[in-house]
Amino acid sequence: MTQRLPQTREVPRRLRAAVRRRVERTKQRARDYRSRTEDGAIAMDGLVFASVIVTFLSFLAGSRWTVIPVVVFLASMGVGWYRYQAEAAKITTLLTTVITVSILTLIVAFLVIESVPAVRLMGLDLLTQIRNPTMDDPALGQGLWGRNDVWSLTPMMLGTAVTTLIATLIAAPIGIAGAVFVSEIAPRRVREVVKPGIELMAGIPSITYGFIGLTIVNQYFYLEFGTPTIGTYFAAGLMIGIMALPTVVTVAEDALNAVPESIKSGALAIGSTRWQTTKSVTIPAGLSGVSAGVLLGIGRAMGETMAATVMLTHTKGFPSPVFDVFSNYGETLTTVIAFEGGNASGVHMSALFAAGVVLFVMVMLLSVASQYVEWRMYQKLGGEQ
Amino acid sequence: MSEIEPTQRTDLAEQRLTTTGETDETTQAAWTEFQFEDDAKLAVEALDVYYGNEQALQSVSLDVPDESVTALIGPSGCGKSTFLRCLNRMNDRIKSARIEGSVALDGQEIYSDGVNLVELRKRVGMVFQEPNPFPKSIEDNISYGPRKHGDLDTGLLARLFGTDDAEEAQALVERALRRAALWEEVKDRLGDNALGLSGGQQQRLCIARCLAVDPDVILMDEPASALDPIATAKIEDLIEELAEDYSVVVVTHNMQQASRISDQTAVFLTGGELVEYGETEQIFENPQSQRVEDYITGKFG
Amino acid sequence: MSSVTENRLAAADSTTGDLVSLGVIGVATLTFLASWLLLLQWVDETATVAGLSVLKLLGVGLAVIGGGLVVIGVGSRFDYIDTTPSSSAGAPVGVVFGVLWAILGGLAATLLLENAVVLWLPVAVVFGVVGFLASVLPGEDVGSTLPVAAILILLGVVVAIGGVNAGWTWSPDWSSASFPGSELVPILVVFGTLLGAWSAGKAKEGFGAEGRQAGAYYLIGSVVFAMLGVLGLLIGFIVTNGLQTTLTGASLLGGRQTIPFVGLQVAWPEFPFLLNQTGGLYVEIPGVLPALVGTLWLVVGAVSFAVPLGIGAAVFLTEYAERGRFTQVVEVATNGLWSTPSIVFGLFGLAFLVPRISGGNSIVVGQLVLGFMLLPLVLITSREAILAVPDARRDASAALGVTKWQTIRSVVLPAAMPGTITGVILGVGRIAGETAPLLLVFGGSPYPSTTPNVLGGFRFSAQPPFVTNEALLSPASALPYQLYSTITAGVFPKEIFTNTEFGWGTALVLLLVVVGLYAIGVGSRLYFRRKLHNE
Repeated sequence: MTQRLPQTREVPRRLRAAVRRRVERTKQRARDYRSRTEDGAIAMDGLVFASVIVTFLSFLAGSRWTVIPVVVFLASMGVGWYRYQAEAAKITTLLTTVITVSILTLIVAFLVIESVPAVRLMGLDLLTQIRNPTMDDPALGQGLWGRNDVWSLTPMMLGTAVTTLIATLIAAPIGIAGAVFVSEIAPRRVREVVKPGIELMAGIPSITYGFIGLTIVNQYFYLEFGTPTIGTYFAAGLMIGIMALPTVVTVAEDALNAVPESIKSGALAIGSTRWQTTKSVTIPAGLSGVSAGVLLGIGRAMGETMAATVMLTHTKGFPSPVFDVFSNYGETLTTVIAFEGGNASGVHMSALFAAGVVLFVMVMLLSVASQYVEWRMYQKLGGEQ
Repeated sequence: MSEIEPTQRTDLAEQRLTTTGETDETTQAAWTEFQFEDDAKLAVEALDVYYGNEQALQSVSLDVPDESVTALIGPSGCGKSTFLRCLNRMNDRIKSARIEGSVALDGQEIYSDGVNLVELRKRVGMVFQEPNPFPKSIEDNISYGPRKHGDLDTGLLARLFGTDDAEEAQALVERALRRAALWEEVKDRLGDNALGLSGGQQQRLCIARCLAVDPDVILMDEPASALDPIATAKIEDLIEELAEDYSVVVVTHNMQQASRISDQTAVFLTGGELVEYGETEQIFENPQSQRVEDYITGKFG
Repeated sequence: MSSVTENRLAAADSTTGDLVSLGVIGVATLTFLASWLLLLQWVDETATVAGLSVLKLLGVGLAVIGGGLVVIGVGSRFDYIDTTPSSSAGAPVGVVFGVLWAILGGLAATLLLENAVVLWLPVAVVFGVVGFLASVLPGEDVGSTLPVAAILILLGVVVAIGGVNAGWTWSPDWSSASFPGSELVPILVVFGTLLGAWSAGKAKEGFGAEGRQAGAYYLIGSVVFAMLGVLGLLIGFIVTNGLQTTLTGASLLGGRQTIPFVGLQVAWPEFPFLLNQTGGLYVEIPGVLPALVGTLWLVVGAVSFAVPLGIGAAVFLTEYAERGRFTQVVEVATNGLWSTPSIVFGLFGLAFLVPRISGGNSIVVGQLVLGFMLLPLVLITSREAILAVPDARRDASAALGVTKWQTIRSVVLPAAMPGTITGVILGVGRIAGETAPLLLVFGGSPYPSTTPNVLGGFRFSAQPPFVTNEALLSPASALPYQLYSTITAGVFPKEIFTNTEFGWGTALVLLLVVVGLYAIGVGSRLYFRRKLHNE
């Protein structure tokens, strides 16, 4: 206890010192900027920034005079570009960075703000409630979306989890096999055809997959397997898995390719077969990159909207048992937004935003995880990144 | 940025001696204070360079004369390239580098606040270890510098209005290529991509590109280390020729090359220390320092 | 086995073992393909070949594969066949077989006895242990053939004698669906043949390290073949189904075009599906022109919004900003936003942009939302491309006394352009096929009778805001949106096409546009990469 006292007194002093240093550095920067830059260029910088800020503010306010600051901006930029090109270029790139970053921040912030009413109404129940307490006879999974002002995302979260799981079970093993094939097994000529081919597959629009899923896959399961409805989690998950395949293959293949040839040659030179090299050298070395590919693929599957919207039944509830993937229920976080977003309002809209936030957070976590894993791999391999 | 008076120089040198604890080399100050009759083109005073916490150069002082070749030799990691990059402030481009001391070009301090880096680098050109032509035509590589400096106007607008300097550009390209002894080899394909040239030709192209800006000093960082013997010989001949008009500073790890082409030689040893500096002949035949002798005869380094 | 322990540098002549293995692989491949034909319903399960129903034929195939494997395994064990097996097939193989055997045992117990955990669990465990031991304990030659053979023969015989036939149905309690033999058998056969090919592939190379390589390659090769097959089929479906609709009324020289001023009529290509309006009273063959033009405007708007912003920010972050926490955070965030579901962007557009810009669905909001989606990708790819420009070039330029901005403009950006362009094209391919956000912020009438007239829509006035464009502020249609509307709206207004026919046609046009963009992107990357390596 006695030792703690001087520390607490220490903190403000250190804080003050840090602030002073920061201020000092900023002042120094300003002086540098002042001495480096011509007066005209400084005037231009000022005008440009002022006009951008006014433009944004008047846009927010919905003013009809927004066009004026835009013109000021264009004029000062034009003159500046002609007179002080280097400074104008720098300020342009800085401005684009600021705009880009603020747009992206704005999107995230807006999502969160719009979901506040739903969160305020429901609290944590938004993510956990599985019975509607306001009903006389609360059945599992019934009336959770909008009845008596109860909004719970649980059926949709389950739907997203189920479809994503099915898609991952399909896309991960086959995708990794595909990556190993393209990078390690296929002869050069085959690779040159197969690799761009798989990348082309990644470009097929999801609505097209949805259309095929609706007209062929759904029908097939309905007719042959006697599913209760046309459209099940399994059929949608299958289609989404096929959609996510190219992503997994491409990223995992890049990772296997990034394993330096010297390491592979070293293993081959001591008399192991190519498969042994692949199994015990290449795949372990590229494992992080391969898992990054799988994580990205999961993210893709989770965010997939159109195929699921078209194929699923939009009935909210819990199948019984939970792993009955052929049940008549079918709604995910993405499909509920796509299906109901057009004519929702009030708390309903806010609940949809909450669904968006849940999606966003999940996908962001997956993306950050995959980037971290990939970064680790390149660190380990001593690559350039 | 401390301004250092010439009188302080010996003190500094001595101070260094005491800090490094080299008791057997008490006369070192005299060896590194090799003087020229004319004024120095570049005068370096007590130059310290740090990369983060690591010191790459220890208080190096050295004068580079005009119209001659100065070779910097030493084992790898001794700081000779770092020293070279200080002479046109290319080290400014490395974020962690911190530089103390003074470098004067024609008596003008280049590390003072108001120095225009662009002007400095126009006067002190540089050729790198790996040939690094731009992926443009041979012609465009040569005229790149002058065009960017506004000495030549070959832009689209100028061409539209017929005010471009096409003829001047042509003359300049030819002059620079001739000076770099490359003209005869490439005169029929000036429009070809420079990356199609051989390594030796690319390096001479880089020298020509540097000459086109008309510098006073040319810095070369192991310009022949990536080349085969024939290309190396051509570059060496070129360097000797260039010494008639320019002050050339060459970093090399090849001692034979240093003895062949240079007028004076500076020997750096591990830790970024300038151990000895003098006439090339004298350094190679009669080095004053035991460590330099060991290095030159191959016992060390 | 002593005769084969010597190292072989050259492959031995083909032996009996090789022939048997080849035969097994051949049968396995045929059976594999045949079961796909059944699964894809190109062959009906009631069809018969040589008096046998196809299902029974598949069973026979499995049994033959199993028999072949028994021959190989036993032959190798008693030195009738030259092989170089390791002492054991290894624990991973053992685990796989253990699990397979356990599933088999469990299923059999459920079907034959009763569906109670007390009954099927012990049986499954016993089977699993037996499977594991059978594959791990004996030498590799026996361990990796006989356990497979047992499964295949068992399955094959049950199917071949009609124990499981087309009419047989398995309806477990936990599933709302039931599994008829007509589908279950081909699915099981697909997996069975994969196993058989793996085992026979191993045997063909005489087991050992090379055998394992061959087995693994057969397995991976078949899986990849199936994957490419399915992906190829998807495209095939769209093309075959959509081609007729797309080509309706089209002819190379059937149309007439009047040359202006001269009044002469010349033969002219005719392509009504691409060039006609969708709705409208007088349109005979409805086309996708409004949607095509809508997609075009969306892409143009998104690109002209996102590309300058993205490239500018990339230049600042790479060339001007000090590398530190800020650039790192931006990088991680942009990567995350690139994988953020498009519907989330749509939601943002709906709640933020729509009320502020147009008050309803409109082209310009669609452009902005797709631009937001494209922005992270442009930033990522152009940043990568700029980082890939070697520092040697920047140094060279700086050493000539050229300013930073001039270096960026004349050295860095030209070198980074190919990478950026490729990335942008791939991104455009993705947003051109994007549907979800359009549902919320863009789409108007599903069957429009006019194309959006953006260029002619500009109006200037003395009143603020001085410039207006009615067309940009109105909703429109785009190819993916049109496809969605066709799928969901139900009734197509014209009699010439059914709903589905028109959908297939739209899907084909959309596929051509998007895959075309991707092909250009992938091709340009290959081209630039090759150019880089040649120099």
